Amino acid sequence: MHEPTFIERDVLAALKGQPLRENQFNSLALDVFRYQFNRNPAYQNFCKASEIQPDKISQWQDIPAVPTDTFKHSEYPLATFPVENTLKTFLTSGTTSELKGHHHFPSTRLYDQSIISVWRELDLPQLQNQHTIFLTPSPEQAPESSLSHMMGVLANSLTEKPTWAVNDSGQLEIDTITRAASFDLPVAFIGTALAFLHLFESIETPLSLPPGSWAMETGGYKGTKRHLKKQDLYQLFHEKLKLAPDSVINEYSMTELSSQFYSRGLNQAHSGPSWTRVRVIDPITNQESQAGQAGHLVIYDLANLHSAMAIRTQDIATRSEADLAQGNNSFTLLGRDPSALPRGCSRATDHNLQP
Amino acid sequence: MTSTAERIQLLAEACALSCVEKWIGKITARDLKTWLAAELGSATALDDFRPHGPIQSKAMAPKDILHILSGNTPHAAIQSLIRGLLLGSHNTFKIPSSGLPEFIECTEGIPAPLNQLIEIHDTLTEEHWSRANAIIAIGSDASINAIHQKALAHQIFIPHGHKLSIGIVYNDFKNAARLAARDISLYNQRGCLSLHAIYAAGDSRSFAGLLAQEMEHFCQQNPPEPINLSEAGAVRNLRETIRFCAANDPSTQLWESQDSLNWSVVHENSATLKLSCLNRCVYVKPLPPILNTQILGPEAQHLSTIATHPFSCTEAAALTNLTALRICPLGTSQQPSLFWHHDGFAPLASLVKWTDLG
Repeated sequence: MHEPTFIERDVLAALKGQPLRENQFNSLALDVFRYQFNRNPAYQNFCKASEIQPDKISQWQDIPAVPTDTFKHSEYPLATFPVENTLKTFLTSGTTSELKGHHHFPSTRLYDQSIISVWRELDLPQLQNQHTIFLTPSPEQAPESSLSHMMGVLANSLTEKPTWAVNDSGQLEIDTITRAASFDLPVAFIGTALAFLHLFESIETPLSLPPGSWAMETGGYKGTKRHLKKQDLYQLFHEKLKLAPDSVINEYSMTELSSQFYSRGLNQAHSGPSWTRVRVIDPITNQESQAGQAGHLVIYDLANLHSAMAIRTQDIATRSEADLAQGNNSFTLLGRDPSALPRGCSRATDHNLQP
Repeated sequence: MTSTAERIQLLAEACALSCVEKWIGKITARDLKTWLAAELGSATALDDFRPHGPIQSKAMAPKDILHILSGNTPHAAIQSLIRGLLLGSHNTFKIPSSGLPEFIECTEGIPAPLNQLIEIHDTLTEEHWSRANAIIAIGSDASINAIHQKALAHQIFIPHGHKLSIGIVYNDFKNAARLAARDISLYNQRGCLSLHAIYAAGDSRSFAGLLAQEMEHFCQQNPPEPINLSEAGAVRNLRETIRFCAANDPSTQLWESQDSLNWSVVHENSATLKLSCLNRCVYVKPLPPILNTQILGPEAQHLSTIATHPFSCTEAAALTNLTALRICPLGTSQQPSLFWHHDGFAPLASLVKWTDLG
């Protein structure tokens, strides 16, 4: 049984308490950095190579961020504890020939609390008095999936009537979905964009959902050739479920993080909880992008106490003047960097076949 | 239109255009004639019946060739153009929606009688597909498969899928580094002939250091074109990931251009072949005692060219156990002979059919 350290108690209190102010975040972030520097030799070596040490910085922005690819190097685990004491490991998605990233946890206490507290802090829709239908495998079906784990936490902590609509073969149970949607209770659909696409292709007659119904989509179309523009996906939400864009929420996160960011409707920024911060870095200059200019998203997540709190993603985002005005944890997501995809000498030419 | 001899003259004029020559090197009318003769047995094989054993045969070029081009390989696109024009076929090019400006520039300078044989589209109609006698597809494996499925049984199908190339250095590190820097840097690794990794015998880390010097030297003479956000992100991601690995493993080391993303050299001990993120980023690895596809890993099946230094046909022949279809001297990987068998195909002979008399 993993006993929480002092710093874990501090972070847990931050997740449960009032939203962190900037000075509170900065102070706790520097404590977390010191903890990770001292407890994680692989990260400490990286920081030293970057010539940054805890006693040399005073701003969270200066904490070295590790690329998500470093989670694929299991020979240098990003863990503040002996990996043999791992309780849970989540794996990144990918093809069988690709290396998968490993995110180890000695306990999921912070992770679980983060999922619940984000929901509360960002004022996301109530899950009580609703029928919640998960279009993802359950945690038992996909124990290495951080997304399924998150859904399990939501199901156990926030919902009253959860239904898991993916069977053991990975197929959507369409009858289960249509039956669940026929009750009087409002329905909350939660699943990946790909699962929703399959659902929409499987139902000919639009479902009539009770007022107050909504949906949350996440995860994109990883590992598939499918892709749909967000506005086209949201049009299908309207056609098939009669849900307006404002009734559809997008969740952004990744296996390498412990917290989530949410946006509602189309053309809206994603916001995270007060224990996260984001920066958009221009890869050419390696400096923070100007407002409105695209760059790569770097995320600081205090709930990532047991690995690395500063993560350099391969997702492209901007921070508009409005995002900047909202604080340091909102951004407008432009998408996954196409160069992050495996490729050889030639750019993928799937679009060659498009008429 | 025109006889083969006339097309050769016109095509030689086109090949002399600077925008064409910079991609394919110097090609004269004599080269084209010799090439045609080497592939088809005679430079007039497309015009006349020629003795073929006890019978006579005449090469029949495909009336219409459909070329489906990838976004970042103008080099291959221009080669495909020259092949189609030399045969006298009508050539329909499908370019990506993102465009292929280097290729368009080349076609604009083609003399009028040959230019009439070129059609360029960014979308294809059913007629484009159905009228093609031959289809040349350049792109990802998934795209090639999809195109192949769409091809009809009577259509000649020539696939040029994902490829990458490597270098092998046995000794003479100083000269090898200079030659390797050229093969790595030309066209910013966008082509299938670009080197993604160099396997060096002996002190491979020392070779990596020399290569870094030569990458900088080449860069000063031939600065790369600006790269976009996505490409820059890939280079930055590689550098930071390698910085993390190097901090934890003394056998890994990163050399990088200062205050720019112009070039990156990574030394690591693993022999597994990995794709570079392109834009003058290369891995240097120790040359294992035995180099085979098992040691190289899954990417070995995509090998196009192995460039070696010093080059000898004897040592090169010993590398044919690998799947690469071309082994050449280091420093020449980006300039294949006009006579090369592109991905194992005889570029002209693979496209023609023969009519026999007797």
